[in-house]
Amino acid sequence: MAIPIESTPPPGWGLQGIESLLDAFPRGRLSEIVGSWSSGSTSLLQALLVRATAAGDLAALVDADGVFDPASAARAGLDLRRLLWVRCGGQITVALRAADLLARCPGFAVVAVDLLPPPARSMGHRGLDHPALVRLERGVSGRDTTLVFRSPRHVAGSVAALVVEVRQQHPCWIGLPRPTRLGGLASEVSVRHTRGPVARQLLPGQSWTITWSPPWNA
Amino acid sequence: MERLRRLACLLVPHYAVAAAIRAEPGLRGQPVVVLSPTAPARVVVEATPRARARGVRPGMTEAEVLARPRGVLCRERVPAHETDTQGALLEVAHAHSPRVEEAGPGLVYLDVAGLEALFGDDAAVADRLRRAAVAAGLAARVGIAGSRAGARLAARLGRAGVVIARGEEAARLAPASLALLDLSPEMAARLARWGLQTLGELAALPPADLHARLGPEGPALAAQARGEDPRPLRTSSANPVLEEHQELDWECESLPALAERLGELGERMATRLARVDQAADRCEWVCRLADRTERSGALAPAVPTREAGALLPLLRASLQAALGTGPLPAAVTAVTLRAWPVRVAAAQEGLTERARPNPRALAETLARVVAAAGAEGVGEVVLLDSHRPDSIELVPFDPLAEGRVGGEGVCSRRSSALAVRRIRPLSRAAVRLVGGRPVALRSDRLSGRIVASAGPWRASGEWWSEARWARDEWDAELADGTLCRLAHDGGGWYLDAIYD
Repeated sequence: MAIPIESTPPPGWGLQGIESLLDAFPRGRLSEIVGSWSSGSTSLLQALLVRATAAGDLAALVDADGVFDPASAARAGLDLRRLLWVRCGGQITVALRAADLLARCPGFAVVAVDLLPPPARSMGHRGLDHPALVRLERGVSGRDTTLVFRSPRHVAGSVAALVVEVRQQHPCWIGLPRPTRLGGLASEVSVRHTRGPVARQLLPGQSWTITWSPPWNA
Repeated sequence: MERLRRLACLLVPHYAVAAAIRAEPGLRGQPVVVLSPTAPARVVVEATPRARARGVRPGMTEAEVLARPRGVLCRERVPAHETDTQGALLEVAHAHSPRVEEAGPGLVYLDVAGLEALFGDDAAVADRLRRAAVAAGLAARVGIAGSRAGARLAARLGRAGVVIARGEEAARLAPASLALLDLSPEMAARLARWGLQTLGELAALPPADLHARLGPEGPALAAQARGEDPRPLRTSSANPVLEEHQELDWECESLPALAERLGELGERMATRLARVDQAADRCEWVCRLADRTERSGALAPAVPTREAGALLPLLRASLQAALGTGPLPAAVTAVTLRAWPVRVAAAQEGLTERARPNPRALAETLARVVAAAGAEGVGEVVLLDSHRPDSIELVPFDPLAEGRVGGEGVCSRRSSALAVRRIRPLSRAAVRLVGGRPVALRSDRLSGRIVASAGPWRASGEWWSEARWARDEWDAELADGTLCRLAHDGGGWYLDAIYD
């Protein structure tokens, strides 16, 4: 546990960093965000959706386990009227099918896929079935859509054009000596893998530190 | 007056057979009879000319028909097929004139006065009507004259009907056979006994004598024979709901076969919609199963459409969503497709507006996503006006509604906010407290020692109703770094959400 001295993070802290990171997610390619629970990986995915809807675009969230929290997302700036939410009842095959359909449909700026840890039978030696991933990659290829997976571990194999890994640095608690409220979460986002010309400006190992403010402060 | 009127008659001969052929186009050109559905004595209601050439006549029993050499195809009379056919015939008429009268099965009158500026002379109008009927799957006869009776008799003349010039009805109809009139068998026998064979001979008889011998029907028949019918059109409006029905002689036992049958209805529906220059705002399909149950589904395209290419994938997706991809619960014996047409005005987008998604592709994609994930799990989420946690509602996603595409979003701020992963359904947990603070958590999703926590945050609401609620929330950090939210209500502890 780490308890910072300051009472609350400065407003907008980490915003510039996240903007440049969000710009790096390529359109017409498959990207992946890897991170365990409380790493900030879902927050990064949510930030992509917020940016798309704030720009007036449509976005889709394929939610394999149905964990999306609309109330906190709306407080974070997500325009729910421009978001298609697809709950898949914990079925990865349904999630992949929905993602494939949405990636091929013109009109969505971002198709975000929040995956569960895949069961062993749908895994290849490193991740999801390779043919399914190749089909997804071909489906989104050439389109103006950013297709992003979020998963607790790397599942997209070599198909992903960009893989970023999110690790928790430390949670921020406010109040000494006993915490009185959760002040946020500091994450380190690092580029784990790039492929193709789109993400060439990124180098594997490049990293950002982002502090996520709690939803009630958004 | 009749010199000013120009009426066309659309007449479908052998109506019951025509309806059966329209429902099953493969019968076209075959010797077909339609049988009454009453068992055990099923009798011939109507027969095509080819079947009549084989000696089949109305009133024969099914056994007599089947005993004929060189097989005749028998089909049972289906009232729904005839209703669909009548609807299609009316649409052909409404597509050409706003003043249309439905005069009976397979018989429609329409006012064609003034159409020469649009379509050419009367012959061109008749030809156009004939071709439109063929496109609707009907071999209709077309007659044009100055009255309803004249138009009806003109439709029965020639190979496919004739056009009678203005004021020449009596002269043109005079040589025609009396059989063109709708005479009862008794009346036909009576006129035959008088030696009358043509319409002209009947028309030439003195009205007073006819009235004395035949009553009011006599002069009326003579007036019809002269092509006189002063009664104005009783106009009817177009049907607000279009319906196509198909009884399946070969029951469908698989989803692909059913989708194919429904696709055929969809194509017919698209043709009808195009004919009336409208688009389907909503469609509904109903399947009757062999176990006497029905399955139904509805679909609403993102934008009204009349393109078969757009309707068919939506229908397939709707079928799949309702019936699943596995075997059908029972064989399907009949399918019905209904469409609610609306008139769609062309829209012009602004130069500064962001490009809208392709409505057709979007509608098809949404339908297929719904088929894959279920309608209850796909849509736009709406926050309800309540402080109760997770008070949300899912509504159909309508991205093309006003204000959904283009411009800045309603929440234009960009925030690096911590996301919340809500646990659904509620996950009960065991929490150990020390000094009133949680120190350990055990649940089916998360377990571990709690190293930091903050709370309780107390919330309650709806105290004025039976649905009142109250709970305490704690933010907690487990030893492995996981940040979660615990909640406690009267029923115990549960894992509410995980911060990520």
